[in-house]
Amino acid sequence: MVQIYRIPAVAREQAGKGAARATRRSGLVPGVIYGAKLPSTMVSLDPRVVMKELHKGGWQSHLYDIEVEGGSTERVLMREVQFHPVSDKPLHVDFQRLAPGARIKVKVPVAFTNEDICPGLKAGGVLNVVRREIEVLAEPANVPEAFHIDLSEANIGASLRLSMIKDLLGAKSVIQGRDFMVASIAAPTVDADLAPPPPPPEPVKGKGKAAAKPAAAAPAAAKPAAKKK
Amino acid sequence: MLQPKRTTYRKAHKGRIKGIARAGFTLNFGAFGLKALEPERITARQIEAARRAITREMKRAGRVWIRIFPDVPVSTKPAEVRMGSGKGAPEFWVCRVKPGRIMFEIDGVPLETARAALALGAAKLPIKTKLVQRLGAEA
Repeated sequence: MVQIYRIPAVAREQAGKGAARATRRSGLVPGVIYGAKLPSTMVSLDPRVVMKELHKGGWQSHLYDIEVEGGSTERVLMREVQFHPVSDKPLHVDFQRLAPGARIKVKVPVAFTNEDICPGLKAGGVLNVVRREIEVLAEPANVPEAFHIDLSEANIGASLRLSMIKDLLGAKSVIQGRDFMVASIAAPTVDADLAPPPPPPEPVKGKGKAAAKPAAAAPAAAKPAAKKK
Repeated sequence: MLQPKRTTYRKAHKGRIKGIARAGFTLNFGAFGLKALEPERITARQIEAARRAITREMKRAGRVWIRIFPDVPVSTKPAEVRMGSGKGAPEFWVCRVKPGRIMFEIDGVPLETARAALALGAAKLPIKTKLVQRLGAEA
């Protein structure tokens, strides 16, 4: 049974950027509810409630009940949240109304399990996540919370694909016909800055030519410096 | 250090950095990022210094992405040269950064390491910055 989260809202009368800015000035976040072949409803929300829901994780696959003050309650998906580029505060929220009986397209987050015992990560590999969410078609009542990929046997160079997800929980991937990559275990990148310094040259023992060369080269190198004086 | 392989013109106008970032203000690759809060020209040396500081603190774990590129040449005149007689020679490369721009992203390290690494990286930059992370990642 999928969990439904409740968000209180207030109906908004006017559309447009002027009205939206006025809503923001009053400390609320403008939003819109659309879909299911019904006219759209404009609402304003408390930003603290919105941010609280966003911080929970997996908000793109959660179902919400928007309780419009003095109006109806709508079952929706949170489709898009716009943020301010600098302050990262929410500027606008899009909600999509659920049509009865229709399957919905949702983005379900991917979670990786057994990272502690993954041989590839233990050997210094890096988990390179290609897709953090997978878009699936699912029944509104059976939207998976997350897809799990087991890393307990993944070595360096392993590619973790859609087929490695144990259970799609009745959902169907939107991308069909190919087993796309979700993540890979990449080999560690060797940075020249972090490489250990080369060992100092060992003193050569013996009287051979190789032993004599460095000694002979040293005074020759010192000569130009002496001349300058 | 980062610099373009070839350019259409050798020298550029100084320009002004106006407004806030309209692109490149969300995390695209990693789990954590360093966001600019002030407008400034960031030089290739500063980017390289920050990258080194971040990579060293992460101790070979994880990955680092640089989201800015210095593609604006800055010219200077030699010392003790009178004004006039043309623009100076290109000396270094800069990137014009607007507030909100994600400059670095990292992944594959825990929050504490990311915070320490990005703080060291931020110390190499001439602007105020803040750490950003993916929504829901802290849950």
